[in-house]
Amino acid sequence: MSPTQPRRAAVLGGNRIPFARSNSAYAQASNQDMLTATLDGLVARFGLQGRQVGEVVAGAVLKHARDFNLTRESVLGSRLSAATPAYDVQQACGTGLEATVLVANKIALGQIESGIAGGVDTTSDAPLAVGDDLRRALIALNNAKTLGQRLKALGRIRPGSLVPEIPRNAEPRTGLAMGEHQAITAREWGIGREEQDELTVRSHRNLAAAYERGFLDDLVTPYLGLTRDQNLRPDTTVEKLARLKPVFGTDDPAATMTAGNSTPLSDGASAVLLSSDEWAAEHGLPVLAHLVDAQTAAVDYVHGGEGLLMAPAYAVPVLLARNGLTLQDFDFYEIHEAFASTVLATLKAWEDPAFCKERLGLDAPLGPIDRSKLNVNGSSLAAGHPFAATGGRIVASLAKQLHEAGPGRRGLISVCAAGGQGVVAILES
Amino acid sequence: MAATVLDAAPDLGALYARAALTAWGRGGDLPATRPARTGVAVDRPHLAAYARVCRLPLADVLPATYPHVLAFPLQMALMADRAFPLALPGLVHVRNTVEVLAPFGADAPLDLEVWAERLAAHRSGATVDLCASVSAGGAEVWRSRSTYLARGARAPEGAPASDVEVPVGDLPRAVATWRVPADAGRRYARVSGDVNPIHLGRLPARAFGFPRAIAHGTWTAARVLGALAGRLPDAFVYDVAFRRPLLLPSTVRLATSPAGGGWDVAVRDVRGGEHLAGTVRPR
Repeated sequence: MSPTQPRRAAVLGGNRIPFARSNSAYAQASNQDMLTATLDGLVARFGLQGRQVGEVVAGAVLKHARDFNLTRESVLGSRLSAATPAYDVQQACGTGLEATVLVANKIALGQIESGIAGGVDTTSDAPLAVGDDLRRALIALNNAKTLGQRLKALGRIRPGSLVPEIPRNAEPRTGLAMGEHQAITAREWGIGREEQDELTVRSHRNLAAAYERGFLDDLVTPYLGLTRDQNLRPDTTVEKLARLKPVFGTDDPAATMTAGNSTPLSDGASAVLLSSDEWAAEHGLPVLAHLVDAQTAAVDYVHGGEGLLMAPAYAVPVLLARNGLTLQDFDFYEIHEAFASTVLATLKAWEDPAFCKERLGLDAPLGPIDRSKLNVNGSSLAAGHPFAATGGRIVASLAKQLHEAGPGRRGLISVCAAGGQGVVAILES
Repeated sequence: MAATVLDAAPDLGALYARAALTAWGRGGDLPATRPARTGVAVDRPHLAAYARVCRLPLADVLPATYPHVLAFPLQMALMADRAFPLALPGLVHVRNTVEVLAPFGADAPLDLEVWAERLAAHRSGATVDLCASVSAGGAEVWRSRSTYLARGARAPEGAPASDVEVPVGDLPRAVATWRVPADAGRRYARVSGDVNPIHLGRLPARAFGFPRAIAHGTWTAARVLGALAGRLPDAFVYDVAFRRPLLLPSTVRLATSPAGGGWDVAVRDVRGGEHLAGTVRPR
């Protein structure tokens, strides 16, 4: 191909390990262990032993400083050829989908013929940092040349500064946990407790059904004794969820967000194999779907009065307009369930004439979607959400779902991310 | 002779004490007992701790060197027993051969059986092979042969000659430098149960004639496999000779070279003195 004519990158399949709850089955596994195991599972599934792919792109949100080259190190420990280049990306919960877009774009431009996109996260083997006071004192100690300088540096260390800094799931600029931010959005949009619990039950039932019908057999490889996502509760009901106490936004007596309708901290990894159509044909691998287009957006959740997780609501209309599509032109919707209320607030925003006019600058609202097409194989509320691994889970599962439905089917992916960002994409079979 | 099935792994500290107290006046033939355990479940936290100490990836396929730490207590029970002809204190591990017949995971319960064979004549004493066989679901998946040298001991009349050399090709290129810390022996002792005093500290090591504590040969061998992660055949033979003791702490270099569909490997000190030389070959 000539470098001036972009082509659509094909999604050939994926692999992930079952997602584990924090400090449980994968408590002893590092990000590198999980990403390597996931890559090796993908290698085994697609016969890539000793083969070179164009590029491997992945990342982790919670990452040790020593893991600066996490993806390349994982490639070196995997069965892929050591001549496979790799790099890390990080866009919070959007990491996995952004990695997919980056690989797909290089394929589209003819810069690579094949590539793997992925992500991994552990909230169990999390990086602890020494507090800033201790860190500065230790650097001063290291640079000290005289005994006096050393003693002075040591003198700066107080018992209190020995407490390590534990990474928190909170926004640095607001100090609010993501759940607290979302509680504000849920309240603004009047998202009720019952509809959140209903969405949660559907997520669990859909994922359980997907496991039952063998849909995940070629998407998931067991790891460390786990064969299914640990958070999955196939028998959960709205009644059971109704008993849970709210955990976010509890200053409001009508708080709605519980541990049930919010995703738990989780550990896991995922990877997706993409290529050009030619590469897929050469290797005898069926194409599940193509990545049509993607879009990111960001909102000012600090001073601008927009919700932290509302950026996908802005990204989607841009993507639709560029591709001449309406929100209803899709067979499947994959809206990442950071919280049940995130999905519901996003859908409500798209139906709201005032929001669509004033915030999105549209003449008419995007309108409602057919809810039966939403997260048909379950999403993060059931599977769990190891931040950077979620994008790969969604891309592989949607591509397979589209392929099963037949040619010409279209799916929309929407992932919200910390920092007020969103990544959205269109896949088509 | 039939296997003697034990309910649990024997306590290694107690075995060392017993072996030390009964070290004198040993001799005669190798015992025919075959200590065994059945249905041994791999303890995943233990596997994770082992992987961390040996710098191995934490995966679902067991590292080729891991079954040794399951079989070793049984081999110790055999060697500590009064009927064993060589005194345990001072035995030096000089060669280790591991065969992975098929990759096997941490899920299947394992059956272990160990025995001693080949009491052989060595130029500076006698050697004995402690063997182990591991089965999963009734099929043998792993076996090993650990050769120990007893300096100054004498093999019986007509004993075969020891076979402790592992020929490796030229390995001109060091691929990695490892700084092995002073506590490497104590850390590996915690996950392997091999609390032989020569690995634990300077003072106990001196009592056995070493200037400092020395690393476990099986740790060095495991770490070499860790460096080859992703580049090993599914089924293979890993054969290593332990040459010079690796004194702790040390800076050592790993040399590797593709050979025979697998690898030739060596771990050397910075002046080129060889601690370990070995081969990995598909089987």
